[in-house]
Amino acid sequence: MSDENRTQAQTQAQSRETTSSSTDSTNTNTSTNTTTHPQTKHILKTIIARELRTVARTRTFYVLALALTAVVLGVAWTGGGIRAGFVPTAVDLLTPLELLVPVVAVAFGYRAVLADEQRGELDVLETYPVSNRSIVLGVYVGRLIGLLVAIVVPLVLVAVAVAVAEEDRILIYASHAGVDSPLLFVRFVVLTALFAMAVLAVAIAISAAVSATRSALALAVVALVVLLVGLDLLLVYGFTSGLIGDGALVHSLALSPLSAFRGLVFDTVVVVAAGTGPAVASPLASVLGLVGWTVGSLALASWVLNR
Amino acid sequence: MTDDSSHSTPSRSSPHASVSPAESVPESESKSEPESGPAPNEEPATELHTERETASGSGCESESTQTPILEATGLDHEYGAVSVLEDVSVSLRPGTVTALIGPNGSGKTTLIRALAGLHEPTAGTVAYHGPDTARQIGYLPQQPSFRPGFTVIETVRFYASLVGAPNPVPTAQAHLDRVGLADAASRPVDALSGGMTRLLGIAQATIGDPPVVILDEPGSGLDPGMSMHVFDVAAELAADGMAVLLSSHDLELVERVADDVLLLDDGQIIQRGSTVDLQRRLDADSLWDVYRNATGGDTDTVTVQGEST
Repeated sequence: MSDENRTQAQTQAQSRETTSSSTDSTNTNTSTNTTTHPQTKHILKTIIARELRTVARTRTFYVLALALTAVVLGVAWTGGGIRAGFVPTAVDLLTPLELLVPVVAVAFGYRAVLADEQRGELDVLETYPVSNRSIVLGVYVGRLIGLLVAIVVPLVLVAVAVAVAEEDRILIYASHAGVDSPLLFVRFVVLTALFAMAVLAVAIAISAAVSATRSALALAVVALVVLLVGLDLLLVYGFTSGLIGDGALVHSLALSPLSAFRGLVFDTVVVVAAGTGPAVASPLASVLGLVGWTVGSLALASWVLNR
Repeated sequence: MTDDSSHSTPSRSSPHASVSPAESVPESESKSEPESGPAPNEEPATELHTERETASGSGCESESTQTPILEATGLDHEYGAVSVLEDVSVSLRPGTVTALIGPNGSGKTTLIRALAGLHEPTAGTVAYHGPDTARQIGYLPQQPSFRPGFTVIETVRFYASLVGAPNPVPTAQAHLDRVGLADAASRPVDALSGGMTRLLGIAQATIGDPPVVILDEPGSGLDPGMSMHVFDVAAELAADGMAVLLSSHDLELVERVADDVLLLDDGQIIQRGSTVDLQRRLDADSLWDVYRNATGGDTDTVTVQGEST
């Protein structure tokens, strides 16, 4: 049942209220079962809480989080970033995270809606006052919280390690040009979270669009290839073929979540610390690109479930 | 017709449209008692006709004595070129158990899903005439399954919270009590037996006290004792005022609890009425005889129309 139909049904149900007194008398409720039309906020909270419990009780997510922590700490340590400062550490971590964040995000989300569909729970939920939009949003937010914990905690540990091990201790906690700063690393963490949000939304859309685990896996691999390589290749092709002009390049990078993330990190973390450098991205376009991928993917997931 | 529900496709005139609002009948009066003999309006025992012969939708007299709470009219459902339902009309009344029986492949699940609003029929309307509640129709799928890693009480509490229950835990506990699953409240859903999972599914189907409860083969795959318990629970739900529709192949249990029986064959309702009505109409000694006489008694082949039931 589509959201529109569901809303129509609720409106019709309300209009019938005055004519249904004869049947009211036959509907016996137990004293504890008095229910009211719940608010969307309440429904969202309920779905999010269930997703959080699911994430908290799934060992695979712990394994992924631990593996990510080990890799992030290992790269930061072996690359020397921990002793060099926050921005060098961010530079060291950028390329590994470009690969690892999408992989972990897809792992968190590619079966999130599909599993409910395979169990027949989506059918059951259709008989509740829950819209498909609420299901998609609730599942997404619940998984996102788990994903952000898995990604942000290792980065915070790295930041603590940098603060402890840095040889030239930073005393200026500001993002002045030419100065390494923990605030720049915070920016890096926030941008990484934004990137994870976009990729997780794509994974949720995949989980809503497919009807079998095998299809979900296949589509997830395709999505990873497209996100990690395909879109960048398209941009390169567009640039070399002249479809994308010189002036439009920094803006067109926003079309790819990966390029948008990379461009934002360079523009707002690395170049700022260096004090000077060329414009490598359009921050506004890049943020809009990541938000667009997030919102678009979630809208697609809702639309697919409404069909 | 006073209402077009959310899953209606208004494309046909309604054979049930002339049903006038009637005062609700107390449960004890609405039940058909096999021992009570023929009702005044019942057809003579010698007169035998089918829904196919009389055109769809008129139903038996007992159905028109009470306002239906869920009314499907002229439902068609097609999968491509395959017609699974043809001009099916169904009325469900509060406080009664309506059983849907029929051979495999006759379209039972397709009909149930249309009634529950899970898919749009190709043609026809499904209208809900009940009270405005958070949840209007409860539904038990044929093979209920629940999110692993959660306990029974957590699962029911989740659903209770979705209908805005002010105290989800006591509400969940009450629903588990109703189906006899209270002792398993702390057990993980992955560790439930098939029968217990089915009972949990029924508890879920009744969350929010929906005026209509639809159970797709609630006794399927269960041992005789558990099947009987499941059917007894369905009868208790009806006694609480709900309109219960269940599909089943267990004709003995259907005979035991059903107030009305719908016999679906080849996508059409070929017989409807109380067990007593049907037995008299088809000169049969049991519901099994009714089933055999009405469907032609062909037990060697399976009718395949496009959806497994």
